[in-house]
Amino acid sequence: MIFGGSGDLAQRKLIPALYNLALQRLLPATFSIVGTARKPLSHEEYREELHKAVAQYSRTRPLNEEVWRSFAEHLHFVTTSDDAGYEELRRTLEQLDFALGTHANRLFYLATPPPAYKAIVEAIGEHRLRGDTGWARIVVEKPFGHDRASALELNEIVHTVFREDEVFRIDHYLGKETVQNILVMRFSNGIFEPIWNRQYVDHVQITVAETIGVGERAGYYEQAGAMRDIVQNHLLQLLALVSMEPPAAFDDKAVRDEKVKVMRALRRIAGEDLSMNAVRGQYTRGFIEGTPVPGYREEPGVAADSRTDTYVALKLWVDNWRWEGIPFYVRTGKRLPKQSTEIAIQFRAAPHQLFSRDALAGLEPNALVLRIQPDEGISLRFGAKVPVQGIRIRAVNMDFDYGASFMVDAPDAYETLILDALRGDATLFTRHDEVDQQWAFVDPIIKGWASSDSAEGPALYEAGTWGPTEADALIERDGRKWRKA
Amino acid sequence: MAEGVVIDTTFWGTRQSGVAALERELTRLRRAQSAHARELGRPIARASVLNLIVYADREEHARRAARSIADLALRHPSRAIVVLADRGARDGTQKRIEMHCRLPIADGARLVCYEQILVRARGDADDRLASAVIPLLVPDLPVFLWWTGTPPLGSRSFGDLLRLTDRLVVDSADFARPEVTLPVIARISDEARGRFGLTDLNWTRLTPWREIATAFFDVPAWRLFLDGVTGVSVGFAVDMDGRDIHPSQALLFVGWLASRLGWRPLEALAPSEAGGLLFAIARPDGARIMVRVRPRFERGLDEGDVSGIRIKATAARQLAEFAVKRQPDPRHQTATVLLDGERRWERTMPLPSPAIVELIGEELSILGSDRTYEAALGALVELA
Repeated sequence: MIFGGSGDLAQRKLIPALYNLALQRLLPATFSIVGTARKPLSHEEYREELHKAVAQYSRTRPLNEEVWRSFAEHLHFVTTSDDAGYEELRRTLEQLDFALGTHANRLFYLATPPPAYKAIVEAIGEHRLRGDTGWARIVVEKPFGHDRASALELNEIVHTVFREDEVFRIDHYLGKETVQNILVMRFSNGIFEPIWNRQYVDHVQITVAETIGVGERAGYYEQAGAMRDIVQNHLLQLLALVSMEPPAAFDDKAVRDEKVKVMRALRRIAGEDLSMNAVRGQYTRGFIEGTPVPGYREEPGVAADSRTDTYVALKLWVDNWRWEGIPFYVRTGKRLPKQSTEIAIQFRAAPHQLFSRDALAGLEPNALVLRIQPDEGISLRFGAKVPVQGIRIRAVNMDFDYGASFMVDAPDAYETLILDALRGDATLFTRHDEVDQQWAFVDPIIKGWASSDSAEGPALYEAGTWGPTEADALIERDGRKWRKA
Repeated sequence: MAEGVVIDTTFWGTRQSGVAALERELTRLRRAQSAHARELGRPIARASVLNLIVYADREEHARRAARSIADLALRHPSRAIVVLADRGARDGTQKRIEMHCRLPIADGARLVCYEQILVRARGDADDRLASAVIPLLVPDLPVFLWWTGTPPLGSRSFGDLLRLTDRLVVDSADFARPEVTLPVIARISDEARGRFGLTDLNWTRLTPWREIATAFFDVPAWRLFLDGVTGVSVGFAVDMDGRDIHPSQALLFVGWLASRLGWRPLEALAPSEAGGLLFAIARPDGARIMVRVRPRFERGLDEGDVSGIRIKATAARQLAEFAVKRQPDPRHQTATVLLDGERRWERTMPLPSPAIVELIGEELSILGSDRTYEAALGALVELA
């Protein structure tokens, strides 16, 4: 059941992911998909529309027409513009159950814009769409609420129909292979965890850089900004994975308990701390890969005096035994020069240097970099002797390249997550208390920026540059600098 | 319609539609290489120790630079981004950035991979060039910028690229007017102190001359003469008709002596016969030193290369002359010491190859600033 079944997300991600699962023979035999939307469409028109979408967006190409044909037979469409629509939906689901004998196991997916969530959940309750015999689960797309209060409210609404263990709040970052690999790397190896703390780490940098602008999402983005769009979910998830304590087991409870614990330890930024620890920016016109692009305020649908943040840089502290005194510098932005998501653990320098200043000129601090995308991999930077007479030291990288090592394309994040939801494994989904803590951290910053005291608005940066100079100052004040991502 | 130069795709690789497509293509090529290596039982890692941006405004220069880098791949596996500023196409050419890429396999180095990318900027792309280069840099590796020709000071693309750079490599032998360009370069390097280092390939060519000049004064008996220098003469090569005058290498030698020995300027550089220079410098004790920099026609030398040096000095009532000359065969140099006109010592030594590959290779192994060079440049700036 996909609500928003002909929307952008369904076309670009969900249906291609389901098709690829079918291609890998990972879908249950008796499986059907019902898409709903407010606009009227026939089953045939719907299938035709999705056929085009899958041909365009699937990670495997070309489209396997045989597989598609049998996949499409299980695609249905129901218009749900009113109560009668929902009643028809109930009948459709019952017919499918009867025809296929699926025991009414149902996975609902909210792929509509967030304002529609409330009405849909209420309709699921009212029209008894859960079914009686099988399991029912609901996947809710991010953003879950737009602040702490609204997240709580949405949660209450969802909980009127679904128990918490039936709610799967999705953050597709967690479905990425390389994000899961953070856990594998930290907790399946013996050599990293002993140095993963304040004794050895100097600081941590997390970068989520996009080259794209706001595109056609201005309506949503004007309200959200980078803080709600990226920081509240993706960035804090990465932070949690890299800073959390080792869970006792790899299951939904243990992993998420640890993530919530570390989110609670995240020091709140508010009041006077704001200007020293947080920078927001907005892009002006510039160039991306040599092509001119407009400034944010010139984008369609954006107010000419918009103060929406398209860039955020923060200096964070995790106040616990492991990380006391170790800053986490995080940044995200649109229209940055390259697309890159990575986490860099920078280690302390050797305690005593035997080599001369000239010999050390090329040495840079040891760093372990987890590249999430693109070029998924891990690299470790250390100093090596340059092969010449005498001692000259140069930082070199030891690279692990995911693609070259495994030679297969990783599954798309949505494939992983949809499959997990079907299996009922919530480890890679966000629990309510986690969302609550994320908002509890983000809210005071957004409020601080919105308050009349900080009238100056976001700092401007030219598209195609690494953000405003204020962000450089944020880290350079501490004698450190942003990595060349 | 003017279409500029034609890009030879067998050399530069196929054209890619953007950074993402280019990276995908490189990944595909790496995988193919890696699979091939695995069959041979020799898995490879992607080796890269530096980003090298080469800026050229002619295709043949770009190609020559790319070949030099390929030859260096064994010692310096790198991602090389060759920027070709193709302004040739005049008005009406759409400003456009095109990219090509290839994984050339260096001779005898089947397992080293070196990534070659061509960024071709068509029309006047000064404002957008850097935006195409930044996303191509491998994160975290030092960035060398090798600028062929005279750096266009004040141009936006030069400034933008310089901001990314850990070390700027120029060749002052290429400067059309070194007396103007060298001081400006010195100023840039001074302002950028600590942010990037500066290298001049012409300075590297001078190394054997500096070595031999230093060697004279390692001899205790001759060391006294260092404080009693009265004249310095440096010859540099010009072509037969003496039109192209490139005194920068010779000037750097003078600047080096001045900065090491604490000589102060007395008068400005003055032109003398046939494009040479004649001027006086003051020793720390105030005595005058006459400096002569003069062009000479010599076969087998590149224009601007130092052909000989002569240092005159007095100490303990003796007159000494320290001279180094290139042999007619330019691969050797001969050093001679005369005391009161009498030959006391002479030795002939090989001169290292001045091939650009060697020069660049040497420079790429240094990351910090070359303070000796910067001081020599500083002394020259005071003279100019």
